[in-house]
Amino acid sequence: MGRIGAVNPVDIAASGLRAESVRLSVIARNIANARTSRTDAGTAYRRQQVVLRTDPAGLTGVRVEQVRPDLQTALKRTYLPGHPDATDDGYVLMPNVSVPTEMMNMVVASRSYQANAAVLKRYQDTTNVALELLR
Amino acid sequence: MPQRADMIGYLEAAIRARGVRQSVIAHNIANAHTPGFRRKAVRFEEMLAEAMASGRPRDLADARPEVFAPRTTPVDGAGNDVDLNREVGELVKNDLLYKAYLRMLAGTYRKLELAMGGPK
Repeated sequence: MGRIGAVNPVDIAASGLRAESVRLSVIARNIANARTSRTDAGTAYRRQQVVLRTDPAGLTGVRVEQVRPDLQTALKRTYLPGHPDATDDGYVLMPNVSVPTEMMNMVVASRSYQANAAVLKRYQDTTNVALELLR
Repeated sequence: MPQRADMIGYLEAAIRARGVRQSVIAHNIANAHTPGFRRKAVRFEEMLAEAMASGRPRDLADARPEVFAPRTTPVDGAGNDVDLNREVGELVKNDLLYKAYLRMLAGTYRKLELAMGGPK
């Protein structure tokens, strides 16, 4: 790994900020739709997940590859007779969103956002010291 | 003990390495949640020390910082081994050294300037 395709720390930290804010938006969307029993597709809402990727060589930061639905966790079968989406036996398929999990992920995502912001701030400080040499 | 011209050369090489390290730490923090990502580190001071100890004629332009993945820290469930606490610690340390080198370089230039002014 001799070659260093180094990108500016500002660009790297900005890519981290972007990725973490996408994560936060997706978490917000999941929490907002925790009880959405029917989407335009006709089925209950499925929680969305962010897939992050990086270039194995070089220092290019992080990128959001895709936001995809969580198809592994099963929808929750809830007994709600009288609900407009209920089947004849009174069950409704509710989203596979677990609010405590989303809350925990939100804490992690906002801490990571702060960490990336701290990198930006630090870089600004050191650049200022370098600029003072010109005075 | 390096000569004054060497001193500037060493400081410039060290500042360059610190700049690369800044990018590497930013990259590690940005990828704190990327599945399968292994943290990267910079090897420079050891290489420089080796080159200085060997006593061979050395060209500082050859002392390039090397980026590598240590793969020595334990990975989490997603195969990622970035520890945010550690990276922030490294960031603070790197910044302090970066500023120290910059101030030393500024001091060296100031002395040169003083010498060029001569007796008044």
